[in-house]
Amino acid sequence: MRKKLNYKRMEGLQGYVFILPWIVGFIAFTAGPLIFSFAASFTNYNITSQMDFVGFENYENLFTADNLFWTSLYNTLYYVLFSIPLTTAGAIFLSALLNQDVPGIRFFRTIYYLPAVLSGVGVYLLWMQLLDPGTGLVNTALGWFGIPGPNWLFDPDWTKPALIFMKMWSVGGGMLLYLASMQGVSKSLYEAAKIDGASSWQQFRFITIPMITPVIFFDIVTSLIGGFQIFQEAYVMSNGEGGPVNSMLFYNLYMWKKAFESFDMGYAMAMSWILFIIVFIITIINLKLAPRWVHYEGEER
Amino acid sequence: MFRKKLMPLFFVMLLILSGCAGFKTGDSKSADSGDKVVIDFWSFWGSEIRRPVIDKIVADFNESQDKIEVKHTFVPWGDIWTKELAAIAAKNPPDVVINDINATALRGQKNQAMNLSQFLEKDDISDRFYEELWNATLYEGDSYGIPFNTDTRILFYNKTAFKEAGLDPEKPPATWEELWEYAEKLDVKNGDTYDRIGFYPLWGVNSDVWMLNSDGKNFFDEDGAPIIDTEANRETLEWVLDWHEKYGANTINSYKSQIDSQQGNPFFNGKLAMYVNTPTFYTQIRDYAPDLDFGVAMLPEREPGSGNTSWGGGFVAEIPQGSKHPEEAWEFIKHLTDAEAQEYWAVKNFDNVANIEAAENAAKNSEMPDRDKVVYQMAIDNMENTLLTPVPVNAPDFMNLVNPELDSILLGKKSIEQGLKDAQQSLEKLIEKSK
Repeated sequence: MRKKLNYKRMEGLQGYVFILPWIVGFIAFTAGPLIFSFAASFTNYNITSQMDFVGFENYENLFTADNLFWTSLYNTLYYVLFSIPLTTAGAIFLSALLNQDVPGIRFFRTIYYLPAVLSGVGVYLLWMQLLDPGTGLVNTALGWFGIPGPNWLFDPDWTKPALIFMKMWSVGGGMLLYLASMQGVSKSLYEAAKIDGASSWQQFRFITIPMITPVIFFDIVTSLIGGFQIFQEAYVMSNGEGGPVNSMLFYNLYMWKKAFESFDMGYAMAMSWILFIIVFIITIINLKLAPRWVHYEGEER
Repeated sequence: MFRKKLMPLFFVMLLILSGCAGFKTGDSKSADSGDKVVIDFWSFWGSEIRRPVIDKIVADFNESQDKIEVKHTFVPWGDIWTKELAAIAAKNPPDVVINDINATALRGQKNQAMNLSQFLEKDDISDRFYEELWNATLYEGDSYGIPFNTDTRILFYNKTAFKEAGLDPEKPPATWEELWEYAEKLDVKNGDTYDRIGFYPLWGVNSDVWMLNSDGKNFFDEDGAPIIDTEANRETLEWVLDWHEKYGANTINSYKSQIDSQQGNPFFNGKLAMYVNTPTFYTQIRDYAPDLDFGVAMLPEREPGSGNTSWGGGFVAEIPQGSKHPEEAWEFIKHLTDAEAQEYWAVKNFDNVANIEAAENAAKNSEMPDRDKVVYQMAIDNMENTLLTPVPVNAPDFMNLVNPELDSILLGKKSIEQGLKDAQQSLEKLIEKSK
């Protein structure tokens, strides 16, 4: 008996040793900085010269004295609130279309996925041209239908819609996930439904959608986390300013400015922890709500 | 037995850990190559044009030295300063870095850049540079960076268009009123659209440059108190809005992207007759519109006698806090900012240098074509009128508060009075808070 226990412990230890590189990496590059940033959020840390404990001053200033904090939070929530339902719906719609068995479907699948491969600054610069109010393709196209296009990135009321619109362009990543999960739905379900006389829409509504809810859930949770971290788009398209009228001053952009332009690192770290808590709470709510609508095959209730 | 079996595993563990410990960067930097001290110099000059020029300046220095060797590292724009900051925090910074002049004092205050007064006491090189540039490097009287290059804003105008409009091509507008009159004559309207626009003040520069131009005053007074809600600023914004109304948002927005696109700038093909930009804009004319007949002038003054004040920025060479070879770094900075290296830089890059003697020599340099010389001389002359706007150390991010107010005014979402009042108040609050 004792020997067996030793063997088990032995095995456990070996396991730990094997994952040791990861543990070391985690402590050095993730947990360490996390703890440090939490501690530093209670200081006036500015990287080079000072790190005095200031208690909750950073947090207090954020909530009581900093209008830009609220502006950036509002902008970010606005973006998340609109972009996530739209991109999720868009991706499901596209994947439903691409889940058909028609000739040349592979070509379309590739085409629609392509934008997800292209990303980064180049794409944003491209979109700045497309969204140009005078010469851009978007307004030119709207003009064909007699619609006067807005000033997009120059009009504070339209900058966020413009970014959300742009986000729709890259639904290919989500689409691929949905496509894979749709193809995994058992054909027998559809056959049974057809025998019962279900229309295509009914099949989609009552078979496809419930069967892919785990993927929808996964997609929503990850896009929410990603959406709260929007930075690059706004940084490039507003020239690092967040304007006009702070309409593109997203949370992370403001945090970045605080950290690297005014060197208020402690303040920025307090901001990052507030964002963490917000995203954490939203994710928990998501997880709690999930059992009500997410369907897992073979799950016991 | 248990222990024995575990021994090899502990060795593996130790190996991994020691492997981690062995990763030390920057050893090569402090090591001497031969008997020379190697110092690391970071710049963002990596372009086809600039890189060879800076490399030649570095090579010249290395040849003249038997004690110091400079290694030039190109770090891309946008990354260089965050990387430098990380390197300072890691206590392993480069020895010399090129940085933005307007925040030099801030970096001095924050202990990122080294106080250079110990070196300046021995050899004072401050009189090499334009006074305005030198003053921008000071924090509490001590310099934290040595000016390298600068810029200023001047007026470019199309002489051919002037002739067509019946204006004297040798007589650029001198006041805001003349600027308006000239623009009216230069405008060519075709139905609802413009075939040529005379002038629009917010292409090339922002309204803050015009506010500076109108009364020669920054957003802060000498004591660091904000002075943004002023009569002159109100008038300036009214004037800017007049222009905005004149051409209309549609025309302005559709030109905007062309202006930002470099080779599509409407100034090149005569669709824009007058345009404010830095003297280096000339290199684009040279590349994209070599046949354009243009002139350069100082920014017009608001009214006779109010001054042709212009705005400029630039870069400094500084020694980051924690450099292991500050003495050697200082030697290199002296070389970098002396007349010879600066003249070479000025001529090869058509760039405004901070060294007065070098700038004046460059304007006479035989390597410069006559057309280049005219623009370069204007740049030098305009340094007289050029103000820098160093960020106040107690409110480095003040533009975050000012820009949205100016945006609101220009977009017509707020009245000029209200916008300036709000800007003034939020700046006062910011200053108050940071005391």
